[in-house]
Amino acid sequence: MLIDVHELNSGYGKVPILHNVSFNVSEGEMVTIIGPNGAGKSTLLKTISGLVRSKSGSVAFGGQEIAGITPDQAVRKGLAFVPEGGRPFPNMTVMDNLKMGAYSNQEVLKTGILEEMFTLFPVLERRKNQYARTLSGGERQMLAIARGLVSRPRLIMMDEPSLGLAPKLVDEIYEKIRTLKVSGLTVLLVEQNTSYALEVADRGYVLENGRITMEGPANELATSDHIRRAYLGF
Amino acid sequence: MIETATQSVITGTMMGIIYALIALGLSIIFGVMNVVNFAHGDFVMLAMYLSFTVGTLFAWDAVITPVITVPLLFVFGLITYYLLIDRTLRQMYVVQLAVTVGLQILMRSAALIIWQAQPRALQYSFIQGNIEIGPYSILTSRLVGAVVSLIFIGGIAYFLNKTWSGKAMRAASDDLDVASLMGVNYHRTYALTFAIGAALTAVAGGLLMSFQQTDPQGGVRFGLLSWCVLALAGLGSLPGLIVSGIIVGIAETFAISFIDPRARLLAVYAIFILVLWLRPRGLFGRK
Ligand SMILES: Nc1ncnc2c1ncn2[C@@H]1O[C@H](COP(=O)(O)OP(=O)(O)OP(=O)(O)O)[C@@H](O)[C@H]1O
Ligand SMILES: [Mg+2]
Repeated sequence: MLIDVHELNSGYGKVPILHNVSFNVSEGEMVTIIGPNGAGKSTLLKTISGLVRSKSGSVAFGGQEIAGITPDQAVRKGLAFVPEGGRPFPNMTVMDNLKMGAYSNQEVLKTGILEEMFTLFPVLERRKNQYARTLSGGERQMLAIARGLVSRPRLIMMDEPSLGLAPKLVDEIYEKIRTLKVSGLTVLLVEQNTSYALEVADRGYVLENGRITMEGPANELATSDHIRRAYLGF
Repeated sequence: MIETATQSVITGTMMGIIYALIALGLSIIFGVMNVVNFAHGDFVMLAMYLSFTVGTLFAWDAVITPVITVPLLFVFGLITYYLLIDRTLRQMYVVQLAVTVGLQILMRSAALIIWQAQPRALQYSFIQGNIEIGPYSILTSRLVGAVVSLIFIGGIAYFLNKTWSGKAMRAASDDLDVASLMGVNYHRTYALTFAIGAALTAVAGGLLMSFQQTDPQGGVRFGLLSWCVLALAGLGSLPGLIVSGIIVGIAETFAISFIDPRARLLAVYAIFILVLWLRPRGLFGRK
């Protein structure tokens, strides 16, 4: 197992959000966590990456306990996080945004990673000297994913990569995510877009009100009555 | 009349470029850390006194003193950051205000104790004299000050755009959480930012001492000047900062020439208020 989260509790100030959340992701696997608005999906990823402090529970990453580490330490361990909305640095160029992805691991720039990213996302090469604030929503999301990949992480966590995108762009983004999966990358994907997420992932967990309520292979979840009624709308 | 005006523009431009250098320190501290350093002007005052002491001690020209005062102010900036500023980051704004205003008072008192109340000036200067162009004259030391300031502003631009530390500073300025997700340790990046801001006042202090004197209350003037330049420029544009510095420098010089030397800060303050009314994000600021 690459990451093993056990009975994680977390929240903001005195407000608890996550209650005894446990899940795991194996090397090379793509796991999705789905759930409604406000379920705590983003809080979960923020807690794992260190942006939010956990209250209790453990996060084992590559066999090492990392609960409570700061975000800058987490990325050095090989844990990349593409936050909700992508959040590229608006006043930096596309190229500088990508290079910031290598900040924790500067040697990686010599391995041809930028060329790889430009092959995966050709639009970024065309826009490389543009400020990120001038990009479209889809381009921003692609830039954020590429920036997350630049450090060659062992695990990449993505928070709703389809958020706010037109259907055509969602297709495009998921095409890329599928490519990444085929390349063997380990991915933890948080989504509200249940059908896309369950189609691409190997396994899934359902997070509702800060608790894991279901788990299983993605295709089984996709055909379960609860998921079909509550998330897929039929 | 026209001649006086032209002369004021020339002098004001030289002064304004030095003001831009001072404001640059304030600007990166505010832009990157979102910290309002009310003591910034007093860093200039302290730098000028240190310049005086170093210049007197070694019989050096003022413009050379930054060789020693820049490292001193850099370290002073680091210490100030870790002892004071770092503790206020997650606190309410008023705490920050109290800390930097307190620092201002502390520095003034320290200057009074160490160098006493009378103004101090350095005499040695190999760049004395004027450059005459027709009816106009440029104080050589001011010209040197302006040129050196431009070089340092360019150096900071290079640093911010081309180095890892500079990029980390810009990233932290844009989105601190995401910067930390990239591996930026913000304590370290902020410490560097604050120290560079302080070190820049040392450069400016040395340049100013080649034609000005310093006194313990000098920080008021430089604080106001740099706030005014920053308000005029907005955040994020170095050319804008230079132009704003020049506008402020010229306004100050005009007030000295045409109204009264005591009205110099009044003119600066008037510009500040005008900008607040007409264009709160500055003339060149982004967003
Ligand atoms: N910074 C914060 N401070 C306090 N409460 C917060 C904060 N961020 C989120 N919350 C609360 O935590 C709960 C979970 O939010 P979270 O963003 O994790 O949900 P989510 O599952 O990601 O939802 P969405 O699908 O809308 O992104 C919500 O009730 C939200 O109001
Ligand atoms: Mg969310």
